[in-house]
Amino acid sequence: MQSMELPLVLFTVFSQAAIGLTLMRVVRTTADGTGSGDRDARREWGLIAGLMILGMLGSLFHLGHPLYAPTALKHLGTAWLSREVLFAGMFTGVTVLAVLVAGMTGRPWLAWLGTLLGLGVIVSAGMTYAPPALPALNNALPFAFFLTSAVVLGAGFGSWFAGEERAPLMARIFTTALVVGLVLNLAAPCVWLSGGTVMRMTGEAWLGSGFYWAHVAVLLACLGAVWKTRTVPAWLPVLALLGELAGRAGFFADTIHTAANMGGLY
Amino acid sequence: MTAKKCTFSRRRFLQGAAAAGAAAMLPCSLLVPGKAEAAAFSEGDYQTFRNACPRNCYDTCSIKTYVKDGVVKFIEGASESTYTDGGLCVKGYSYTRRPYSPDRVKYPMVQDGRRSGKWRRVSWDEALDMIAKKMLKLKEEDGSLLGLGMTKYSGNFGITNYGVEGMMSSLGYTTRFVGTPCWPAGIDAQNYDLGNMWCNDPEDMVKARYVIVWGANPAWCSVHSMKYIMEAKRRGAKVVVVDPVFTQTAAKGDVYWQPKTASDGALALGMARHILDKGLVDEDFVHNYGLGFDEFADYLRDNVTVEWAAEQSGIPARDIMEVAEEFATADPATIWIGYGMQRHTNGGASVRSIDALVAMTGNVGKEGGGARYGHLQTWGFNYHALIQKQPEGSKGFLGGAAKGEFDFTSGSGASYTDRTVNINKTAQAILDTTDPAIRMLWVSCKNPFGQDFDRPKLEKAFDKLEMVVTVDQFFNETVANSDIVLPVTTLFEEWTVNASYWHYWLSVNEQAIKPMFETKSNIEIAAALSKKMNELSPGSCTFPQDIDTREWMAKEFNQGIYDMFGISDWTELRNGPVKARLKSSAAWSDKKFATPSGKYEFKSELCEQHGHKALPEFKVGREGYDEFRLLTPHTKFGLHSQFVNLDWMHEYNKEPYIYMHPKAAAEKGIGDLDMVRVFNKVGEQKARVKLTDNVAEDCLLMYEAWFGRGNDYNVQNLVDDESADMGAFKAGAPGVAIHDQFASVERA
Amino acid sequence: MKKQYAFLVDTERCIGCFTCAMACRNYYHQVEGVVWRQVHPLSEEIYPHRERAFLSLSCNHCENPACLNVCPVEAYTKREEDGVVVHHQEKCIGCGNCIRSCPYGAPKYNPVEKRAEKCSLCHERLDAGLDPACVQACPTDALQLVDLAEFERTNEVQYPAGYPRMEGLNPSTRFVLPKTPKMVRR
Repeated sequence: MQSMELPLVLFTVFSQAAIGLTLMRVVRTTADGTGSGDRDARREWGLIAGLMILGMLGSLFHLGHPLYAPTALKHLGTAWLSREVLFAGMFTGVTVLAVLVAGMTGRPWLAWLGTLLGLGVIVSAGMTYAPPALPALNNALPFAFFLTSAVVLGAGFGSWFAGEERAPLMARIFTTALVVGLVLNLAAPCVWLSGGTVMRMTGEAWLGSGFYWAHVAVLLACLGAVWKTRTVPAWLPVLALLGELAGRAGFFADTIHTAANMGGLY
Repeated sequence: MTAKKCTFSRRRFLQGAAAAGAAAMLPCSLLVPGKAEAAAFSEGDYQTFRNACPRNCYDTCSIKTYVKDGVVKFIEGASESTYTDGGLCVKGYSYTRRPYSPDRVKYPMVQDGRRSGKWRRVSWDEALDMIAKKMLKLKEEDGSLLGLGMTKYSGNFGITNYGVEGMMSSLGYTTRFVGTPCWPAGIDAQNYDLGNMWCNDPEDMVKARYVIVWGANPAWCSVHSMKYIMEAKRRGAKVVVVDPVFTQTAAKGDVYWQPKTASDGALALGMARHILDKGLVDEDFVHNYGLGFDEFADYLRDNVTVEWAAEQSGIPARDIMEVAEEFATADPATIWIGYGMQRHTNGGASVRSIDALVAMTGNVGKEGGGARYGHLQTWGFNYHALIQKQPEGSKGFLGGAAKGEFDFTSGSGASYTDRTVNINKTAQAILDTTDPAIRMLWVSCKNPFGQDFDRPKLEKAFDKLEMVVTVDQFFNETVANSDIVLPVTTLFEEWTVNASYWHYWLSVNEQAIKPMFETKSNIEIAAALSKKMNELSPGSCTFPQDIDTREWMAKEFNQGIYDMFGISDWTELRNGPVKARLKSSAAWSDKKFATPSGKYEFKSELCEQHGHKALPEFKVGREGYDEFRLLTPHTKFGLHSQFVNLDWMHEYNKEPYIYMHPKAAAEKGIGDLDMVRVFNKVGEQKARVKLTDNVAEDCLLMYEAWFGRGNDYNVQNLVDDESADMGAFKAGAPGVAIHDQFASVERA
Repeated sequence: MKKQYAFLVDTERCIGCFTCAMACRNYYHQVEGVVWRQVHPLSEEIYPHRERAFLSLSCNHCENPACLNVCPVEAYTKREEDGVVVHHQEKCIGCGNCIRSCPYGAPKYNPVEKRAEKCSLCHERLDAGLDPACVQACPTDALQLVDLAEFERTNEVQYPAGYPRMEGLNPSTRFVLPKTPKMVRR
């Protein structure tokens, strides 16, 4: 059992929310080729940049020596963490730039660039958190978890900026992502139960974890709320964010490391 | 792979740049090369000293200590000793921490109310003033110092530490706790059979063709002996381990026997009977060098059968016969007799039976053979610190004193002596002794609350004492039951010399660092007390008041030691430990025994005179008095109550456990790692349980240890002070039946 | 094959005495809670008697070390001359990525320094021609230093039960399996 890694929880969830918002911005502005629904660009980019900066600042608390954080860019050759830092840095730069240059209408190329860099962040984070030492996650699951989080939060918060014509689109994407998230989260631990010892231990730890069930409950509650109101109420993304934070805390705290079973059967 | 190679070549390039000193000057840390390794180790950076582990252990390791800036940086085993062979053990390597341990007793301290924990620091002068005044008061009120008791045993076997006994003698005639909880029944048994306890050089075990390790667990208690057993095995010897517990040593043998506890005598006699029946007796040895073998043979024929032995021990007859035949035909064959198997009410008798088994097969006096138990051949020091004269006019005890196994002094011829009481009945002795009662106790090199039996009774006994002074390094339970604690030096902070009771190496122990805080060695404490006594009452203590500890260590040497070890001066030991020059690695190689008859005595009249059987006959063990047999042997993380408390040891040994067979646990509804309560007529102890078939179904096992750090675990809450059959002859008091204990268990 | 120093853990000889672990602590004085070499008892499914056979493990000095690959600040190097994987603590920023990534749990977090650390095979002793502290200390020669390039044995295994199989890393430690005696019990 590892620690909850709060700084990493904040960094990954906030950055994924920011990336999801950027992605949804692209989706919204290109949905019918008109670029409409872009009435509040500066506020939206402000939220994206704010989330990202908050996440980046939070991540520093994870380091023993935060002042040396920039040296983490040294090992782009093999270390996915270096690549993650690079992508995250560039993405943050784009978001800040977007805030500075945004008028009441945004600039689509910035959203496109941000989305590309953001996906780079999610891919490299997915690789960073999929080490061989965590057999349950030594696969595409972290990437899939992170991407669904990004879409759930992006569509959820995106609905704040969607306007009436795009709100149903956001609600549909939000709902789909919730379903995908639920399926992933329910299936993964069950699959692990039939895996090797450490995978099984991880499955048991997740299924016995309050973080895990809180996350699942929030996903269900969000689905219920959307189903009932047929829209995304303004408060709902905040609930979804809390759910993702809980789920991420469990992701770090309840995943079993191979070293925890040394001397036992694998 | 290719990618990695590329990174390496880039790094190599940068390393080259670093060598040129260019990269280091670059402002951007991203360009600093990857290599920044520590420089190669250099012994020249350190001062080195010779030390020796002074604990009560077979191995008595020779230590090389590396000191820098007056601080012990690390230690290692002396490579000069083929026995220590460059490595220590888990306990030994923790010494580096010991002088600097945050839990150490640093200053003389006084406790306001026993067990109150209200300690206050006092100066040495204040502490000694309180102590000396109390001693003078006892002498004045009682007319003698017999009200002053001293209990000391094996906490520090450095020879100068016999200055504790010397200090007592220098004060007058006092009450001494004599005997040993350790090994006395076996010592007596070997004395009856062979005339002395004298074992082969353990290093010659490699020559054995057959090794039986009987009731010993060297994998935990003598790790450096294991390589000889393993080498014998590699050369083709068979290794049989006999133990009621499936020990780590047993796991390394070829055959493991789990007999009923305390049935060792029956097992040995059954093997002897079979050897007799098969005509495998060494006729030359038993008739030319043995006494009373025919009577022993008659006893076997009349009273012993293999089937009977099988029934007594639980080991099937065919296994007894197989091992007996193999043992008798292997040449040489040896048995390592552990101290565990003699801690029984029939322990001495069992050792005699095993001695007889080794002797009748002609394996006594043979290299690679032998009934190995221990020896004190290399302990011929001057005992300068020990031998002190009582002050003029001291009054003492009339009626003679018993002597311990390490007491090499000859009688003084004085009419008065110290009063001796049984160390294995410490609590009872304090409660019972009158005229005068023991009113004050000096404790050194010992933790009675961790090691003495019937702890609840001991607490009562201590409460009767008017003053308890304990000399120690840590705040253990005995210190908690004391009024004054005096801080004593560790091995690195004093001069002394150490010998082993198992191997034949000799090590000097140099002072490697200045004593930390206000610690003093035992002889320095004696000198300081003497000064105070003479200040208050001139002539009341004869111990020298100004001593040089290095000089006092040197005074322990004599020509006999020099000749035995082939050195001309002790200073040669600073180059490393030396081994005794043995004419043979075998004890008794000339087959001249130290018994009254000069022969190996299968039949010992002396033994009979001391109230036992003349022959090594079977003796029934102690009747069980509770549901499970309770065994409390040594842990690998400690030696008695030492080491387990250290923070470094806690990294590897977090908490104490009770070990229990899964079947027995199931019947009690006890699951693995449950908290349980073990209880018997003496007291109770709680701890978590580990289920394992390493122990028999009728057995509970708890390792003796003092955990420290607020943990109340203490096996002496469950062990009574029942005596073993032998021990009084050579150790001054009978041994103690530590493994003849019984208890119940339930979920807590 | 290039020179590759490796630990040979002979569990047939190992008595689980923890001497190696304490010898390491004696030499490097790790802070409380940090253990570079640990002695792991084998579970009863692997060796049928509880706490009677052990794997003494520290860093495996892998051919393709996870720690080195994932370290964002290049605080790890693998020495060309002998394959020892060295951690350079002064460069470490304490991100914990190596700790999360090494399947053998070799790197540990030092809460005082706020950086990772691990066994670097006493490379400063190797450079002086000495054995690592743990190898020197082992009383039964159960823990040995071997060069995989020259090592010739037949009964050793790379992945004994109780030790994760990580072929991508190719750990260099080799093992000899434990034996059980003939049991005669009542």
